[in-house]
Amino acid sequence: MTGDGSDPDTDSGLAERRGLDEAVVYQPAEDSGLLAEAALEEAHGRVLEVGTGSGWVAQRIAEERGLDVVGSDLNPHAARQVADRGVEGVVADLLAPFRADAFDAVCFNPPYLPTDPDNEWGDWMEHALSGGESGRELIEPFLDDVGRVLAPGGVVLLLVSSLTGYDEVLALADDAGFAAEPVVEESFPFETLTVLALRRE
Amino acid sequence: MDVVCCPLDKADLDLDVDERDDDEILAGTLTCTECGETYPIEDGIPNLLPPDMRDEAAA
Repeated sequence: MTGDGSDPDTDSGLAERRGLDEAVVYQPAEDSGLLAEAALEEAHGRVLEVGTGSGWVAQRIAEERGLDVVGSDLNPHAARQVADRGVEGVVADLLAPFRADAFDAVCFNPPYLPTDPDNEWGDWMEHALSGGESGRELIEPFLDDVGRVLAPGGVVLLLVSSLTGYDEVLALADDAGFAAEPVVEESFPFETLTVLALRRE
Repeated sequence: MDVVCCPLDKADLDLDVDERDDDEILAGTLTCTECGETYPIEDGIPNLLPPDMRDEAAA
């Protein structure tokens, strides 16, 4: 989330409708690239990307790894963008509508910017960026529930920013019964981004 | 899609198809076999938000 990033999207078929959706859907940036890199390395079997946004990461996993991928998002505009990319799209609140043991890999680039409650701005972009006061408001319920949908031997790929509190997220993962291991890491002027692979202890 | 369930009670969903294009379901309804709550499929995309969040998002 440190810059605008280049738009790696080359499919212009639905450009007009997508233009409309893009205004309200988080588009790929450095964090997306890092999550894709980790997912291409670690994902296997059936894959879920939570908070898929533009669907760019989900599409890369589906195409470059040939895996079955589902992209979910709270934002219906995002679910449509991922579906336009040929990935199965679902409108969902985090992991709520997914079955136990359904996925071998779950990827999540959460909204993580710590946001003062007085400065919440209340649109789809806020849902995509704001992690509440702590920056961890979505990470906590995600980690509480992800063990349920993860099949035996499954892996969670979670993007963490230093702005969100790396050690705090590690502690939450540990509480949820996961061992964490960094897969990729990159430093930017204002934050360090890490993708953690979480596996059941 | 065999990976989804009712977001409220995690029970199975029954699928009613209204519109189909080859293998893809374009429009239909998913109904919870336990609580009876219904979830729409529109434009090929199931909306599995719990009813209170769905209404909020539509507003």
